[in-house]
Amino acid sequence: MIWLTWRQFRAQAITAAAALAAFAILLATTASDLSSLYNSSGLLTCHGAACTGLASQFLDQLASAGESFLLIPGSAYMILYFLGVLVILITPAIIGCFWGAPLIARELEAGTVRLIWNQSITRNRWLMVKLVLIGTAAMAVTEAFSLIQAWWAAPIGKAVGLGGASSIFSETRFGWFVFPTHGITPLGYAAFGFVLGVTAGLVTRRAIPAMAITLAIFAAVQFITPLWVRPHLFPTSQTTATVAASGANVSLRASPALTLTASFVPGHPGAWIISSEGVSAAGQRVSTIPAACEREVSDQLGTHTEVGSHSGTPVVPGGASALNNCVARQGIRVAESYQPASHYWPLQWSETGMYLALALALAGYCFWRLNRRRS
Amino acid sequence: MSTAVIESEGLGKRYRRRWALAGCTLSIPDGHVVGLVGPNGAGKSTLLNLATGMLAPSAGTIEVLGNRPAAGPGQLARVGYLAQDAPLYAGLSVADHLRLGAHLNPGWDAQLARDRIERLDLDPRQKAGTLSGGQRAQLALTLAVAKRPELLILDEPVASLDPLARREFLQDLMEAVADQEVSVVLSSHLISDLERACDYMIVLVDSRVRVAGPADELLATHHLLSGPRRDPASLPDGMQVISASHTDVQTTLLVRTSGPVFDPAWTVSEVGLEDLVLAYMKQSAAPAARNNRRHLEVQK
Repeated sequence: MIWLTWRQFRAQAITAAAALAAFAILLATTASDLSSLYNSSGLLTCHGAACTGLASQFLDQLASAGESFLLIPGSAYMILYFLGVLVILITPAIIGCFWGAPLIARELEAGTVRLIWNQSITRNRWLMVKLVLIGTAAMAVTEAFSLIQAWWAAPIGKAVGLGGASSIFSETRFGWFVFPTHGITPLGYAAFGFVLGVTAGLVTRRAIPAMAITLAIFAAVQFITPLWVRPHLFPTSQTTATVAASGANVSLRASPALTLTASFVPGHPGAWIISSEGVSAAGQRVSTIPAACEREVSDQLGTHTEVGSHSGTPVVPGGASALNNCVARQGIRVAESYQPASHYWPLQWSETGMYLALALALAGYCFWRLNRRRS
Repeated sequence: MSTAVIESEGLGKRYRRRWALAGCTLSIPDGHVVGLVGPNGAGKSTLLNLATGMLAPSAGTIEVLGNRPAAGPGQLARVGYLAQDAPLYAGLSVADHLRLGAHLNPGWDAQLARDRIERLDLDPRQKAGTLSGGQRAQLALTLAVAKRPELLILDEPVASLDPLARREFLQDLMEAVADQEVSVVLSSHLISDLERACDYMIVLVDSRVRVAGPADELLATHHLLSGPRRDPASLPDGMQVISASHTDVQTTLLVRTSGPVFDPAWTVSEVGLEDLVLAYMKQSAAPAARNNRRHLEVQK
């Protein structure tokens, strides 16, 4: 069975190996330039707050390096960075579509299950060997993409970790596209994507619809996870800080409702802020912008309209900070719910574990369905 | 006493609300080449798929070589199955298929497989997808035979072949099974395919078994009677009318009886297997009550 699985999987395996090699070569050509830029940026020898500025400077430098790459306008580093992330994000979906969905569906379509299920091997063993071998390959390929990209992007990650930010490189390790493409999460996504495809193929019995279903479900899951699942996979920590200390900004999007967006958690660099809201000195939630700040609000709204019609600059910085200061003067503090940097690995394990468990559950369903014998 | 290769009791299979096979009670002794004949859609494939464990019964029970079909690797090894349209992996070569057989069957007879491929003049490097219909059937048969099963089941193996390939395939099948101690069950909607090859017949019509038994026994107990026109109901007990045709003056009956026909009014002649089977196949509109009675009678 191992021989047959390999024989049937050979072409896909070679394609994957070629893609992996192309990806590695593409990134390797610029890796030494990237690390020498990092080495000469002063980030190796800086201390404390000086690093943040240097890191931002380094990231800005990357963002403006070159005008196009591979015929795509933009900095080579930016293009490779996002290309790499994109590849890791969609690899599990592609694996689900092209390895998973046809695995059983094509055999059902071609009728070859009637050949293979009548050899001296049970269909449980048949499916088990396929799931284990190809599932392992799926996880290995996805993780390999992730490791290659992580190795290449290490200088960018370090600069962001030091507090640096530029217009395009500002996602921390918890960022919605950084978190699921690094660490061990690609393993979970790969296993899930693959088994999702297999299950869809078994249920629809047609490879093409199964591919579409796999893609749709996987995209939905990748969209839902960072928004509603990931923040709650591990218990969050809470703290209350002043408006200034949390770098909070009052937004008028939902005016007169008070919307605060914090940028830092004091004492916890690199924390992932899940939510932030205004609270009174007594700890009660403040849901509306205090009446005392009416003037700052109208100022900002007025400026907004006026400036917006001329130059498109949405908010005058002075106006925004005036409102922030006013809200702070009213004794409003910022209650933050966050995942500290130390929760990175527990969250990685939780998310990976969740997807592995989903993959196992789907696999279990496949075995159950296969044994109902409605071939 | 020899064991039954296929033993079923009230076996039925339902797809949603339609019964593809119903009330099928059979006991096929081993050592036969069994022809399963019936019109398209009669339930032949369903019966064979139940026997190989590709389907699970909706009613009744079925045992193959004394076990539940496809109960485990051991049971799978004992039954060779050539499914309808001879499914093969289009992208795999002839040699790959033989390797597949060798890897997945502990009793694989590599010598037999190689010899057959050589004799059939198949190029081992050729992809199965580019083989002709006859070659596909031959390769699929090679896979089924070389695993050295005790029971070989073939579902419409010649349906898609031209008349010459049909004859060659059946001849080849007979040679292949003659050397081995193997029982064969072979289905077709054409009696002419089976007449030469089979020594045991099962006629399946409208999802029910009409008649089953060794060919020689069927021939010995069925007679064609012709004589002056009369009502078939006036025949003595123990004589069962399978088909009747009348002209103004003459009546021709196909009857089943265990004893000899004494009535001098009848001219008795023997009936061929093909006419016999056709007579049973034409009976599709017979009332259910009579069906059931006939069922009981044909059981052995």
